[in-house]
Amino acid sequence: MEYIVETKKLTKRFGREYAVEDLHLKIPKGEIYGFLGPNGAGKTTTIRMLLGLMKPTAGSATIFKKDVQKEKIDVLRKVGSLVENPSYYPHLTANENLEALRKILNVPKKRISEVLEIVRLTEVANKRVKGFSLGMKQRLGIAASLLHEPKLLILDEPTNGLDPSGIIEMRHLIKRLPTEYQMTVLISSHLLSEIDQMATCVGIISKGKLIFQDSIEAMRKLAKQKIVLKVNNHENAWRALLAKGIKAENNQDAIFLHEESDDGVAEAVQTLVAEGYAVYRVEEEKRSLEDIFLQMTSEGNLK
Amino acid sequence: MFLSILQSEWFKLRKSKISAIILAAPILTFLMGLTMDGFEFIGDDEVNDWLLFFLFSNLTYSLLFLPLISGVFASLVCRYEHQAGGWKQLLTLPVTRGKVFMAKYTLLLLLVFVIQMLYVVAIFSVGTMKGYTDAFPMAIIWKSVFGGWVAAFPLVALQLWMSMIWKTFALPLAVNVFFTLPTILAVNSETYGPYYPWAQPFLMMYSVEESMDSVFYVPWDQVLLVVGGSFILFFFGGMIYFSRKAI
Repeated sequence: MEYIVETKKLTKRFGREYAVEDLHLKIPKGEIYGFLGPNGAGKTTTIRMLLGLMKPTAGSATIFKKDVQKEKIDVLRKVGSLVENPSYYPHLTANENLEALRKILNVPKKRISEVLEIVRLTEVANKRVKGFSLGMKQRLGIAASLLHEPKLLILDEPTNGLDPSGIIEMRHLIKRLPTEYQMTVLISSHLLSEIDQMATCVGIISKGKLIFQDSIEAMRKLAKQKIVLKVNNHENAWRALLAKGIKAENNQDAIFLHEESDDGVAEAVQTLVAEGYAVYRVEEEKRSLEDIFLQMTSEGNLK
Repeated sequence: MFLSILQSEWFKLRKSKISAIILAAPILTFLMGLTMDGFEFIGDDEVNDWLLFFLFSNLTYSLLFLPLISGVFASLVCRYEHQAGGWKQLLTLPVTRGKVFMAKYTLLLLLVFVIQMLYVVAIFSVGTMKGYTDAFPMAIIWKSVFGGWVAAFPLVALQLWMSMIWKTFALPLAVNVFFTLPTILAVNSETYGPYYPWAQPFLMMYSVEESMDSVFYVPWDQVLLVVGGSFILFFFGGMIYFSRKAI
């Protein structure tokens, strides 16, 4: 697989505290990589190092197979970014903000109206950014990051502070990028639901360490349902199930069935009834991605 | 790449309503020249009226206006970057920090140069309106104005450095005012005056001798040494600071 971003043992230490420790990020081409973690886990620090705004204490980061430290200019030429709060020049209009960047990026003038169209700011193009709402500033930031048609887009908490309609709009926009513009997107967030709705790959960071990295499907598999049976004398009931070849787990006050199909559940219940056990409840316990995320990050915290 | 950064810098600054600041010092010089009457030597053949008026104006201009205005500009070119994450955005573009620093510094030097030129225009306008009949001392005024510009290099570098460190607009300005005021004392010391960055433009501009043998009171080699030395110190100090700064 071709990785657009790859970090090796990327580490940043502030005094004694490790903000980021031994990070091995792998972001495959054309994916939307959700970089997930609670606030203060090291997401922004990682992104700053990827963009060369900060030097790593140890380790390295490669983007497009080029070392970010050594070939920064070449890398940045193909990277668009939005780090934390939107950046803008308050005394300039939306148009002028983009013009100030365009002069450095050396792209044709028509790109300005194109990107403003993409983020739907055309109507306020000649208004000072000072008076923009947070959502509009955020969209201007996205427009700025798209100006030079980057192949990698790095967005740090892009929906922070947006209202619900702004979030939905941003989500639609981001989802379009890989297919329409052949971009790879790295998007960070502390909200799982947000990543869940956009990302195709996930990396979870907690206390500066990467505790999970795989496709979103792999993460969803962890969220599989479980069937819980509550019966009288569950110790014996569990043995009775095992004797019939039904796989189950004995818990403190309930039995967990490994089988989830309707037939499987029916068979287990029938067996228990036939054996004379009283079945009080048959429940489906869903572990949400949220639960998994919380579990993973709290395990990370224990370390 | 450097030129495009410079263009971008000029674009951002141009939109900051700077014309009033550029014109402030020349206009004040002009008004002061017009209102202050009674130069006793006017009409006296031994002293050139232009030169007298020029040296008189230099007192307020190079001692006060120039260092204050260049400080305002240094704060301005950093202000819009400090305000709302501008540094972050600028430095994630394909630019090196060295070139960004150079572009901002070059822009400041160009602005100081423009102000110096406008200052000459102000002097010339006043003299013309008052009907000075002596020959315009072209050589002395140009050398003085150009020398003052070069002598401002270290000061401007120092002002840019300070403006990059402090996020607030007011702090570098306050520090600048604080150090500008004692300049009047510093210039009286032959030993320490030349080393005081705020005094250097004044020493260069004011020290034009009547006798034409040496146009500069302070010998060139000493000027080169002190101004050049402090330029290297402040320019590279600021640049290294900026290159290492975590954004």
